[in-house]
This record gives sequence, structure tokens and C-alpha cells, in this order.
Amino acid sequence: MKLSLNWIKDYVKIPDDMDLTRLAYDLTMSTVEVEGAENLADQFKNIVVGEILEVLPHPNADKLRVCKVNVGTEDIKDIVCGGSNLEAGMKVVVACPGAMVRWHGEGDPVEIKNAKLRGVQSFGMICAAVEVGLADLFPASDDHEIMDVTAFDAKAGTPLADALDLNDIILEIDNKSMTNRPDLWGHYGIARELAALYDLPLVEFDPFVPNVSEVYDVRIEDTERCQRYIGAKIEGLGVKPSPFLMQSRIWRVGMRPINALVDITNYVMLAVGQPTHVFDSDHIIDHISVRRAGEGEKLQLLNDKDISLVSDDLVIADAEGAVALAGVMGGAKDSVLPTTDSVILEIANFESRGVRRTAQRYDNRTEASSRYEKAIDAERCDQALSLAMKLFAELYPDMKLVAFNDVYPHKTKRAEIDVELDWLERRLGKRIPEEVISKKFGIMGYDVSFTEDMMHIVVPTWRSTGDVSEKCDIMEEVARMYGYENFEATTITTSFDSAINQLDYDLTRKVKEYLAFRSGMQEIFTYPWMSDECVSAIMPSTDGILALATPPSPTEKYVKCSLLPNICRAIVKNERNFDEFDIYEESLVFIDKNYTEKYKGEALPTQERHLGCAFVAKTEDIQSLYRHAKGIIAAMPSYTHMEGFTFTRDEKPFWADDVVWQNICLNGKRIGDIALLSKKSALTAGIKVVSAVLVELNIDEFVPFRSRTNKFTHLAEYPINDYDISFLVDSMVKFEEIYTAAMEKAKGGLLRGVSFVDEYKGKQVPAGKKSVTIRLAVGSDEKTLTSQEIEEVANGVMKKLQKTFGAERR
Amino acid sequence: MKEKLEALLREGTAKIEAAASEAELQEVKVLLLGKQGSVTELLKEIPKLDVALRPEMGKAVNNVKNLLSEQIEGRRETLKLKASEIAPDFDFTLPGTTPKIGGLHPITQMCYDLNDAFRSMGFEVFSGPEITSEYYAFDNLNFPPNHPARESMDTYWLEGHDSGEANEKLCLRPHLTGDSVRYMQTHKPPYRFVYPGRVYRNETTDARHERAFFQYEALIVDKDFTYTAGKVMIKSILQKVFGKDVPVRMRAGFFPFVEPGFEIDMGCLVCGGKGCSVCKHVGWIEIMPGGTPHPNVLRAAGLDPDEYTGFYVNIGLDRLVMMRYGVDDVRLFHSTDLRFLKQFR
Repeated sequence: MKLSLNWIKDYVKIPDDMDLTRLAYDLTMSTVEVEGAENLADQFKNIVVGEILEVLPHPNADKLRVCKVNVGTEDIKDIVCGGSNLEAGMKVVVACPGAMVRWHGEGDPVEIKNAKLRGVQSFGMICAAVEVGLADLFPASDDHEIMDVTAFDAKAGTPLADALDLNDIILEIDNKSMTNRPDLWGHYGIARELAALYDLPLVEFDPFVPNVSEVYDVRIEDTERCQRYIGAKIEGLGVKPSPFLMQSRIWRVGMRPINALVDITNYVMLAVGQPTHVFDSDHIIDHISVRRAGEGEKLQLLNDKDISLVSDDLVIADAEGAVALAGVMGGAKDSVLPTTDSVILEIANFESRGVRRTAQRYDNRTEASSRYEKAIDAERCDQALSLAMKLFAELYPDMKLVAFNDVYPHKTKRAEIDVELDWLERRLGKRIPEEVISKKFGIMGYDVSFTEDMMHIVVPTWRSTGDVSEKCDIMEEVARMYGYENFEATTITTSFDSAINQLDYDLTRKVKEYLAFRSGMQEIFTYPWMSDECVSAIMPSTDGILALATPPSPTEKYVKCSLLPNICRAIVKNERNFDEFDIYEESLVFIDKNYTEKYKGEALPTQERHLGCAFVAKTEDIQSLYRHAKGIIAAMPSYTHMEGFTFTRDEKPFWADDVVWQNICLNGKRIGDIALLSKKSALTAGIKVVSAVLVELNIDEFVPFRSRTNKFTHLAEYPINDYDISFLVDSMVKFEEIYTAAMEKAKGGLLRGVSFVDEYKGKQVPAGKKSVTIRLAVGSDEKTLTSQEIEEVANGVMKKLQKTFGAERR
Repeated sequence: MKEKLEALLREGTAKIEAAASEAELQEVKVLLLGKQGSVTELLKEIPKLDVALRPEMGKAVNNVKNLLSEQIEGRRETLKLKASEIAPDFDFTLPGTTPKIGGLHPITQMCYDLNDAFRSMGFEVFSGPEITSEYYAFDNLNFPPNHPARESMDTYWLEGHDSGEANEKLCLRPHLTGDSVRYMQTHKPPYRFVYPGRVYRNETTDARHERAFFQYEALIVDKDFTYTAGKVMIKSILQKVFGKDVPVRMRAGFFPFVEPGFEIDMGCLVCGGKGCSVCKHVGWIEIMPGGTPHPNVLRAAGLDPDEYTGFYVNIGLDRLVMMRYGVDDVRLFHSTDLRFLKQFR
């Protein structure tokens, strides 16, 4: 919202020497965020009033003229201009060299320089209104019309800003910072805050007393939605422009002046925050009623939009039908028309939520509706009435109030709050003197009375529509008016019960750090929704998958039930730039089942914390890729302090390659899978060149050890020897079978362990066979073994392998 | 012969001294004392000499042979102790072979930094469900039905769960504050906890707006906690995260679930408060809203607002990370683009 400081000064006498930066800062700290404070005149630097003395033809151009112009300097300047309305004696706007103007009102402002135009030297430029940003105040009748300021009694050379009285500070307020303050949506509200901040008197509005006996017929049918309606029939008017100052003020704060009748209503709204409206009284048949619309009732709005109403809409109607959408917009037919000479002035209070619903329903938020939405107090109609009648009288000395009515079924009740002074002191950490509170609160419109240990507050109506209702609200008022910066910092005290011990949090963090820092993987984040093609790559069906009612795009409606679809998408994205990468994501997934009530009053679907990984490479060597992935997963529990995983082969995941897959189990329970993404799924997801081993684990199933579980064993007294043996075996035999068979030899003997060294298929190995090398750890607790004893152990293992698999030693 | 012998000794000594490695020395040794070495060749010539000269010359040649042998052994010892075995063209400027480097997401990094800071002050870390009921998203957080703020947080409702009572309507959480009630309902006061997480809003995206973004909320609830203590808390946290003292100011702000509410600004780190384009020339950057939990929120958690109060902040993690590193497009965080993510260690 924009505010004019000059306008604010109508209501509160801010000292002229007030530092503007200070004012903006104080308002920001205590009330609303001031985003900018600029002098309007700054836009008009080097722009002055010039008087045309003579208009001569241009020697080289038919459409251009050379004007002799007095711009207040000693010499008369030549200015080349193509304006259609140039005349000697006319006062015009001259942009001198250095001024910023927008050529024909388009593009960014450019700096004016001395230039030759078609061979004639021109000093600056004679401007059209649009070129100096004043088209709203000086509408041109054609594109070549020059802005005429003859009517302003200004000497040649007067800066334009002075001539038009545009020396004003415009404050730009962040609307978001005052959504809770319906009282601030006008100049008077901010004036009141400034008065309280600086202990200055605030100008009051004189109550308007209607001296007319005729009662205008106003009927409020829905008193919940309309708490007050003032209808005033005024005659002796007519459509004409409003005075320049009124137009100028309306324009300064971002609205467009229209005509005197409409401008009065907008001026009142901008001044006190109360929307008002005028109807052409010749068009209002018999009476005004405020009622719900009939279903399907038609109304053409002021912006020419035709709408079909519903019964939730509140309308202003006459005997024949709806004439306005209450609190939102007037109707086209019955508002101010070119012929209007008498009006019905409406000053009314409409219920906030109803206005909001209607404005949204027709996608038609207006200056009025956005104010009503904030919940305005009904008493403010008095201020609006006072100001509006004053303005009508000023602008139309012959006007006559012929009928009046103020139907006021619901007065806004002033909230009353008791605050214990002791409580206030404890919460603020400081005792604020009673006289400070009384003074500030008095200016803000509160009635305050103190008893020994209590403060009784009666809240003004304009803060009683939901804004101030509890004692914490009063605490805020005290604190901000005293100044948040004026409270000394206090330390935080602590009471010690026990150390923070959050094993689950620590575990998840260890998992992520292990993958990132120990395993060289990059963490990624993806959205909670999945693309359809990635869903069909990973999921056998969409059963049990939750969907969004209004998804970000029609093909992204399903909500994550697995991390793998989005990981596939990340692979697609990155395979363009990288041949090899390992990524992971840790996130919740959602499944449409269970709906158990974990927290009071809500039953939610299953939400599990999952870990998804992708090990990606442009490679033919799937064996190595798979072992790389498996190695990282298998070693994780030793870093994260939990039981080790086991790898089984129970159920192939839908997306997995037929051969390369395993299930991952913890304490015998399947908690995830590791597998090569099948060719079909990869293609479905759009992965073009790389191979990917994917892993998904349910982290909720991870059980962290309560503490470290390391065990110490004495160091071996005699050496443990490594002994490698290589043998040929059927290529279908799996290492795990070899391991199990070999380890049978370990029972109570000298064999201490078996590990995998190498596997080879190729030229020197017959088809259908593979060469496997394993490493035996051989040792004794009693002595150092001889090489013959070690050899014997190896031979025993070899014999076992030969018997079991027909292995041949190489 | 005699001259020859002297020259040989001279040259031999020089060669031995010049040998830079044991291998070179070995070559020199072969050259001098080997089967076809210069000294050996001279010895071979002795029988051809006049008999009378033989003993003397033999002695002289042997003498030279012994001298050279000694020198060689001496040189060998020197080389062993002093020199490198490695050829001098070894390039020690080649880069090291690095282990494969991965990384946490920059948001996770910031979140963990904050967790560490808060945990050091006795805060617990809590996380709640991301699909929430309307009841926990709005109703028990002092958002009355039809409150405009509900619409300012355009919510992703779930298909088939987008109508009905507040406890039946389900959505992706539009903010984290519902978790504060969940925590308080299941724990005993006083409270001191943080609840970071991702929230979702159904809005149009651009460089500054995202549909999914991260918030970090912290809440203290205790008896008679003043908001000035909250300021101390914020200062301490920022100091820990940024590694230096950061000016903090609190000014009037409004959020439904706090009263009083604040906007909390930190001094711009880019310009040091002098004013620059990052802070829009005001020297301050808005980093978080905060305030005292609204009595209705405390009531929803089953607490008496006359007895308990507290302090709450909501830190926008995306913003904080963007500011810290100068990231200019919030959408990069969910881009999964490794060219972006790999920049943060």
C-alpha cells in the first residue's frame, strides 16, 4: 500500500524536521514494514514549466515545429516539438538536459540531452503527460497532445514538482505486514500509529449530523452479513473532474482519478479505510435492500463483467433487482453515469468472510473487498460519513441532502481485557511505567484504568474485530510502543533433567553421513510427487498410491510411495553430464493404508522413512557395479551401529533385472531390495545409456544399538596365515555356496576364515566354468604352523569343494 | 705407464665423485675395476713389461686399484645415507589421488549446522508426518475456518481426502507448526525442541518461489520466558552457524500462531550493514519470523497460557543457504542436478 506523508499530516502534525529515515525505521520496528520512502518530486528533477513565446515552422520537417520557449533562464530556448496543440502563450512541461523521461510513455526512462533534430538544435524536450508519468492526471485526447499546465499559476522556470505541488514523501508499506490490522488500511490509521509513537495529537473527525427529516428507505435483510448501512440521497451534483489536489492525492497512492463523484468515494476510502459507493439515484427504484442474491440472479459489474449470482452472495438491490455486489463492486447500470446529478451514497459495513468468498468466487478482488476482508469495525462508517459529506459540500456548494438513513443492527462490541501487572512484568522482563502505558494507549484509542495490581483495558472498536482480544495482544501493544529495542537482553535459564539421547535421529544422520563422506555418494532432494512414466517404470500398478487433488501437472499427480521413481528421474537428468555417479535420497514415502491415529484427532496414512540409492555407470561390467553397490550397503551397519544386513533371494522387485537382484534383510525381516534396474524399466523411465543398480531400504526398520557393541578379543599369539587357492567350478555355482561348503572345514580346526579374492571367466577357462580364487585364513592357538600343516588345511578345503561342486584346483 | 696410471686415478676419482646414484656408481665401478675395466686392462699389460719394472708397476697398479675400490665404497656409503633412490625428475606437483567424494545436500548441511547449534543448547530434534490433517495444519494453530491465511498457504490436498471435517481432510503439510502441537501433546513441559522439514505450497514457481521448500522451526516453552531471551537464543545460533557475531533486530510482525509476533532481521553479511543490493540497501535481511506462541496454540497442546509461555522461530532454510552462498534460484535445490549439488562440501 502506498501512503502520502502530506496526506497523513492532515491528521497528525508531524514536525517538518522529522528525519524521514527515522520515521520509516520506527514504523517498521513497531507497526508495519516500510519498504520504501521516496520523494515524489525526485521523479521530476530538471523538469520545469516553460512558456511558449512563439511557434515557428521547422525548416526541414512538416510535422515538427520550432518553439521559442522561456524556461526561466536569461535566454530564450529553441525546442523542437511535434505536439499537435502547441500555441504561443501556452505553459508546457520542459524536460531540460539531465531529466529522465519515457519516450512516448514506453520503455525505461532515458536521460534528455541537447540534440539536433533534423538539423535544428533543440534544448531538451516539451513533454506529453505520458512521458513524465502524469497521464492519469493530464489525460491526452490524442497521441501528439502536449501536456498543458497553463491553468497552473506557475512562472516559467518553476520546477514542475513545485508547480503541481508534488513535493510529497510516498511511503510504500508491505501489505503482508498488516493483514491483521484492518485499522491501518488508510492514511488515518497510520497517522494514529505515528501519533502514538511520537506522542502527538491526532485530529478527530466531527460527527456528521443529518439535518433532514426524510428517511431514506434502507432494508437490511441479512443482519449477520451487513452490520450497518448508511444511505444518503444527495441532489444538486453532476459529473465533473475533482479538484487537482484530490486527483493528485488519489493518483499518488496508486489509484486513478475518474470524476468528482467517484473520486470522493475513493478519497474517503484511502483516508479512513472505509469503502463507500455512490449509486445514481434516478436508477435506484423505490428503496435499497441488502439481501442474499437469488440463485442465478444476474448482475453486470462496473468492469462490464456479467455474473450469475449464488445465494451465498450478498447484494445491494432496489425494488427491481441487484444493483451491486456488496463490498466488492458496484453494478454497471446503476452506479455513476455521465448524466448522474443525484446519488445515493452508501457507507456500509459488510461481514469479512462473506465478502472474501464472493470476491474469490468471481475472481474480483477490489480495493473495497480487500479492506472488508480484514474485518472493519462498524463504527468507522461515522468517520467516512463525516469526511464524505464534507467533501460533497466542498466540491458541490449547491448540493442538498434530501433523505438519510443509518440502519445499524450490530454495533461492534469493544473488547475488554484484564491484565495482571505482575504477569506483564514477568513476560516483558521489565516494568513499564503506568503513565507511559496510559499515554500511548490513550492515543491509540484504548480506555485504560489501573487498580492495584491490574490493568483494565477497553479496546477501541477498530481493534476489536479479532485483532486485539487477549492479554498477550495487550502485551504486544505495550512492548512495541515502548520499543522492542528498548528491552535489555535476558539470558536463557536451563533446567537439567537428562542428556539428550536421540538414537533415531543420530542413526539417520549417520546413514547420510556414511553415504556422503565414506562412500562418495551425493545426497539429492526430489519433490514428493512422481512423474507417470517413472511410476510405471518402478511400480507394478498404481493401487495404494496416494494422489494430489490439484497436482503441479496432470502427469505428476501420484505422491511418493517409493523413492525409486524420482531417483530414476534424477538419473535421466544427470546421465547427460556424467558417465558415473552415485546418489541417494532420504525421505518419507506415503502409502494409502493403515490410517492409524498416532496423534490425537487425526488418522494418517502410512508414512515410512526410506533411503533410496542409485549406483550409476556407463559400463558393461555389471558384476563390479553390483559389488560396488552391495559393498557400500553391507558395510553401512558397522558405521551406523546396528545389526548387519543379510542378502536373500525371496521376491524379485518389479523393476529388477531377472538375474541381478537380492532382497535385503535385517534380523530376518525384509526391509529393502538391491537390484539392477531392468532394461525395460530403464527405458520406460527414459534412461538412455547408463546402467543403474538401485537400492531402497526402509529406515524406520533400522534398530540402532543403545550403545557401542564392540568386543575385545585377545590378539593371536601365533601367526594367522593367508593361503590362496584357485579352482575351476561350474559358472552357476555361487560364492555363498562355496563359502558355506569351505567353512564347514572350519569347525574346531585350523581354518579361521574364508574370503573371496577373485573370479575369472574368459579365454583360459572352459565354457560354462569359472575360475575362483579364495583366501583361507589358517592358524592355531598353540603353535606356529608349518607350511605343510597349512597346505593340509587347504587340501582339505579343496577336497570338500571337489566333492560338493566338482571343483578342480588350478 | 706411470703417467697413464696417474691419469687413471685422477679420472677415476672424478667419476666416482660424480656418480649420483648407487646404480651410476656401479657403472663406474665396472668401467674401472670390471673384467674389461681400465685398471684391469692395465694389470693385464704388466706381464708385457720389462721384468725389472714388473714388481714396482704391479704394486703401483694394485695400489691404484685399492684406492679406487676404497673410494667407490666410501662413495657408496655416502650415497646410501644421503641421496634419494628416486629419479630427480619425479613430479611432486601432480595432484593427489582423491577418494571418491560425495556430499550432503546443501540444505541438509545447513540443517545439521543448526541442529548442532540447537542441540548444544539442550534442544531435541523432532520430526512429524508430512501428510497431515487439516486439523493439525490449521485448526489447532489458531487459524479459524475461512481464515485468509489458510488461502495464502495454497495447500496440496490429497485426492479423495479433500473434503469433510478438518480431521478427515488430508494435505501435504503447508508449514511445520503442526509438529509443535504434536510434540507438546506427547511430551511433558518445559519444552525445548526444533522440528526441521520440508513443506509444500501449491504455487507458481520462479527463481524465488518453490512448491517444496525447507523450514526450520524451534520452540521453547517454559514458565515466564521473555522474548528478549529469545533474541539471545537467535544471536547465539547465528553466531554458531556463521562463525561470527551477527547483529540481530526484532521488529513488529504478524503470524497467526504467535502473539506478539516478530520479523527477525540479521545484519547483511554481504555489506556489513552499509547497504547493498542483497539487502535492498537497508543493511538488514529478513531471515525469520518468530514470537511468543499464541495462547490458542498452547491450549491446543493442553497447556495453560497463563502459566506457560515461550519463544518460537521459523527459519527459512532455503533462503539462508541462498544467502550464505549466493545461490540465485531456489529451484536448484530440488533440481537433482549434480553440477549444482557437488559444489557444496
